[in-house]
Amino acid sequence: MTAAPITPERTKHWSEWVAAKHIAIVGIVLGMTGGWIALPPVAVRTVTIPLFLSILAIAAGIWAVARDVKRPGWGAIAAGIFGITLALLALQSSDPHLRSVFTWGTLIAATLRYATPLTYGALGGLVSERSGVVNIALEGMMLMGCFFGIWGSATTGSWVGGLLIAMAVGGLTAFIYGIFAIHFRADQIVGGTAVNFLAVGITGYLFIQIYGSNGTPDLTNAESIPDVHLSFLGNGFFGQVLGQLNLMIWLVFALLFVVYFLVFKTSIGLRLRAVGEHPRAADTVGIDVYLTRYIAVTISGVLAAMGGAYLSIGFVHSFNENMTEGRGFIALAALIFGKWRPFGAFGAACLFGFSTALAYAVPSAYTDSASSILRSGALFQTLPYILTLVAVAGVIGRSVAPAADGKPYVKQ
Amino acid sequence: MSDAAAPPPDSGVPPVAQTGPDDKKRFNSQGLIVSIITTTIAFLVGGLVVLATGHDPFGTYRAIFNGTGVTWLIPGYGDRAASATNFQQTLLETTPLILCGLAVAFAFRCGMFNIGGQGQYFAGSYAALIFGSYWGGIPGPAHIVLCIALAIVAGAAWGGIAGFLKATTGAHEVISTIMLNWIAIWIGTYFFGLQGPFVSSQYSPISNTIVGNVHLPVFWGDPVLQGLHIGFFIAIGALVVFWAILNRTTLGFEVRAVGFNPEAARYSGINVKRNYFLAMAISGAFAGLAGGIDILGWQFQIATPDILVSSVGFLGIAVALLGRNSAIGVFFAALLFGALTVGTSSRQLDPSVFDPQLAGNLTLIIQGLVVLFVGADLLVLSIWKSRKKLSFRRKASET
Amino acid sequence: MEGPPVLELRGITKRFPGIVANDHIDLDLRRGEVHALLGENGAGKSTLMNVLYGLYKHDEGEILLNGEVVQLKSAKDAIDRGIGMVHQHFMLIPVMTVAENIVLANEPTRAGIFLDEDAAAARVRELAKTFKFEIDPNALVADITVGQQQRVEILKALYRSADILILDEPTAVLTPQEALELFEILRILRTEGMSIIFITHKLNEVLEIADRISVLRRGKKVDTVAREGATEAGLAQLMVGREVVFRVEKQVPKPGEALLQVEDLHVFDDREIEKVRGVSFEVHAGEIVGIAGVDNNGQSELIDALAGLRHAASGTITMGGKTFEKATPKEMTDEAGLGHIPEDRHLRGLILDFSLAENLALHDYRHRPDSKMGWLFPKHLITRAQRLLPEFDVRGGGPLSPASSLSGGNQQKVVLAREIDRDPKVLIAAQPTRGLDVGAIEYVHRRLIAERDEGRGILLVSLELDEIFALADRILVMFEGEVVAEYSPDVSENTLGLAMTGITKDAAAK
Repeated sequence: MTAAPITPERTKHWSEWVAAKHIAIVGIVLGMTGGWIALPPVAVRTVTIPLFLSILAIAAGIWAVARDVKRPGWGAIAAGIFGITLALLALQSSDPHLRSVFTWGTLIAATLRYATPLTYGALGGLVSERSGVVNIALEGMMLMGCFFGIWGSATTGSWVGGLLIAMAVGGLTAFIYGIFAIHFRADQIVGGTAVNFLAVGITGYLFIQIYGSNGTPDLTNAESIPDVHLSFLGNGFFGQVLGQLNLMIWLVFALLFVVYFLVFKTSIGLRLRAVGEHPRAADTVGIDVYLTRYIAVTISGVLAAMGGAYLSIGFVHSFNENMTEGRGFIALAALIFGKWRPFGAFGAACLFGFSTALAYAVPSAYTDSASSILRSGALFQTLPYILTLVAVAGVIGRSVAPAADGKPYVKQ
Repeated sequence: MSDAAAPPPDSGVPPVAQTGPDDKKRFNSQGLIVSIITTTIAFLVGGLVVLATGHDPFGTYRAIFNGTGVTWLIPGYGDRAASATNFQQTLLETTPLILCGLAVAFAFRCGMFNIGGQGQYFAGSYAALIFGSYWGGIPGPAHIVLCIALAIVAGAAWGGIAGFLKATTGAHEVISTIMLNWIAIWIGTYFFGLQGPFVSSQYSPISNTIVGNVHLPVFWGDPVLQGLHIGFFIAIGALVVFWAILNRTTLGFEVRAVGFNPEAARYSGINVKRNYFLAMAISGAFAGLAGGIDILGWQFQIATPDILVSSVGFLGIAVALLGRNSAIGVFFAALLFGALTVGTSSRQLDPSVFDPQLAGNLTLIIQGLVVLFVGADLLVLSIWKSRKKLSFRRKASET
Repeated sequence: MEGPPVLELRGITKRFPGIVANDHIDLDLRRGEVHALLGENGAGKSTLMNVLYGLYKHDEGEILLNGEVVQLKSAKDAIDRGIGMVHQHFMLIPVMTVAENIVLANEPTRAGIFLDEDAAAARVRELAKTFKFEIDPNALVADITVGQQQRVEILKALYRSADILILDEPTAVLTPQEALELFEILRILRTEGMSIIFITHKLNEVLEIADRISVLRRGKKVDTVAREGATEAGLAQLMVGREVVFRVEKQVPKPGEALLQVEDLHVFDDREIEKVRGVSFEVHAGEIVGIAGVDNNGQSELIDALAGLRHAASGTITMGGKTFEKATPKEMTDEAGLGHIPEDRHLRGLILDFSLAENLALHDYRHRPDSKMGWLFPKHLITRAQRLLPEFDVRGGGPLSPASSLSGGNQQKVVLAREIDRDPKVLIAAQPTRGLDVGAIEYVHRRLIAERDEGRGILLVSLELDEIFALADRILVMFEGEVVAEYSPDVSENTLGLAMTGITKDAAAK
């Protein structure tokens, strides 16, 4: 019979809250639908239906916000606005244009290809940050994997060799970063930035040293990671999406489940998360905080490097200096957007991959459009970053990192 | 009621945020020593890399050194004309580095890590370029001042976004500035790329050039061969402004207070959030100024492939860290990295000694090592202390 | 309670830079006994227990378990040998469940890797039942009460088959009701053969639950006594053993008009829990009002509201005839005339990396003559420091020295100097002598009384009863967010102590 906690009268009855939240979610769905039906394959060509759905969505949102269910409520309002905007934009362009951009099969396949390196990176970042070590150096580790993957493949003559070497180098890079972050208790962001500098320098240096500035022929002949052909899927939607994906993409699907189970359903994962949330508590029950963090950071390097290796020997089939072009940072963004959970991060990576895919698909379809935005396509590439800013600002709900993230642990 | 005798709990504050010239607690007068040791180790390791890949480290470093033109400062040494041109280039490179270094340093003094110097730089260059390529009718000096002012404002706005997000939502400035960097890059690619609104012709991804009267006057060297323009003095002026703001204004007082101890600052009535915003805006202003000066001083236009390659904002991070966030430190660190960039560029470096492309990457390696070791002050300090121990042991054994 | 002691400490010594925290301490613990470790703040109790739990390494001495000398290199070592510790600041992970926290690092698994959540929950329920308390294994630690969290900590130790349990100031965070429940649990544990060390500084608890009591004072063990025959007075004497009782001479107070009036103040903390529940009081010119109470009963939130650092949900604060609502700290210092010596000088009172001159200017730098239109004049900051440092007897540095180079006592003098120099009408002093040596404490007390005699109103909040008795002209007791009693300084310590645990004459009568 403990003293009841003293709560202010602000809490409402839980049933009110639940009902309003449901309405808000319905609103979000309606808003999204309003936008989606204007696109192929449905391609409604009048504005009335999307407008109607959007108004419903906004109304639902206002209803929810008024009942103090803020986040889903604002989400519904945003979805309504988004839906009607998307519909209006779609109506501006002609049907054949839309259809050539929005062939969903190839678009989704492209999305998966772009999302894969991001997902590897995000998974790596997840493991590291769950143990409490911030990993800004995903970009550098990915780049190391990128170069050493293709170098390894060209040198050993097999893509397996290339992949393994990439993983080893990525792990080693991460381990060195770990020494500075964990043992020397250096500022993790400074250390990560340093690793990124070093990765660009080392990979660039070795690239020019070994292959000269016109070295690419040697590299394009390196053995690539094979695609997995699933001819039984035929040529329809599923065939377009899943029929010809690279092995690494299937591998990353599998890894999503592996990481999920490992981190959230095993005792190893429990200890990992304990170290990231409250290292002193973990220490007092006998968990070796330093060892856990070293292992986590090393694994993150291996995963990031795999993403880089996919880029060079699975996707582009060559290498150029600073090839990753910030994908490591987008991976970090996907992780944050996905709230430090594997499937969330994958979803975010797909969203970001989709904007990249659009960025390439749109200009080729809109070569004679009046709008320079559509002809250029470059602005679509800003979407991942804008979305992450939104996420970080807490607009879609607080993105909460593990509590001890970024703080060096001092054992007394 | 914990034991007063127990050692204090570990604080979560990252060490770099509290580094500054008045940071006596951590380094005393050893701040300068740490910087020197760090640089020395970085160059040593760089030399090892050169050696390990089959080149001559001494020859390489000598060639790089000659390329920097620093020898011009020594009267009567070598080919004065050649080293003069080289030194102009070095100072040309140093100018934006000073400003980008100040951008990062100012934010650090307020306890924030501004990785967004590159994006803020771009904001400034876009503004200067766009306003510099129209309105040729405005008299030269006024037009220059207008463009510079707009560059500063653009940079301040870009930095201010991150500051605003941090102040209102607590969003970590590292993430938001990284995102803003990439948004700026893609906006530039849109503006000046194929089919973009500010492109000069339909067929190449290059912007219009700025009009003739808005070029920054060159005061040393041949304008046709990219001599040194007055932007250099603006950068020096910025160093003074940086120092003055931090040490002679109430704003700087607050910024420093927040950087050292935000809780105590809040307790004494300082509006911490406002300072986060202002510090990021001022940071951005410095970087934006760098962008504006580079456009008006020697770039004169933007080609989108250059956007992805530009790294002056990131070098600013290394400059600020090595210079320990002080005005003097930033100056010398910027000079070092500027010299290094010029010395290893393809214009200066003799390919038979060392391939310039390799050298460019070598520079990156050295810079990376500098940042790495600066971040790990414990390591550097322990090396310093162990040298003292060694000499002490030797003395003891000799008596 | 026969046989060799289950635990013996011989000559344990632990040194930190500048201080001997434990000085050749001997202690023994018999099986099935509750042994209280009593001492004031800073006596060395927590250090000793951290040594026992493997978190610190002792410099001299031996630890014997069941007659055998052991080396405890880490917490894991201690756990493996059956020593369990319930820390004062819980070692629990808020975002994880009760069961997860308890089984961490010793998890039941399926197929060797998968966490068996059901088995864990079952085991937790089983353990709890054995010791007769209720707990929901699947609740998140963040969602349960402090008393329940403490039980989780105890279960953690029981889960690992501890037979020695150490509790560090366990009632510091409990309500009186929860404390009684804790004692019940301890009695049950004792019957089951558990040996318990109970660290506290509260005399009444010790007499309630302990079989034997060891008293520590300034790092040394003074004596070990059995409960029969022990009295509060006797124990207090051992604890404090004062040769000198520092009660600074003070005149009879001459209170004047009311400078600060607080009426029906309600304040919520960051977790939306109401911490100040309708507090009303006044502070007059020329008087020191002392607020006594156990930590975490709303004092911090009350001060925060007065200083403008936290907005009160309702109620009024009136100073100099003006009512302040939702004021900022700046308004309270500049307009209201409030001075505030904060609780934690390192965290809130000073900026350690700033010079003394800069620290002294923390309130005034915005105004002339320190600055004009935003431009700062450092010379004036230095002049002020040159005036104040000798006046407040600050030693160890000059105007340009960083605050970090001063000792604790001198740092506090700087804070005092800054606040008093602004001639505040009301001065709030929160734990003003925490962590200071005797000389510094004396200075601060003298100074506060002098300021009172100048006609200021002083609101003193302290966890140290001695300080309250020494300084206060009127004593208010805060308990669970309310002022439950008001006394004059000649009240007995016993009555005051009881009031601090919520037991006042009126409450007792209910």
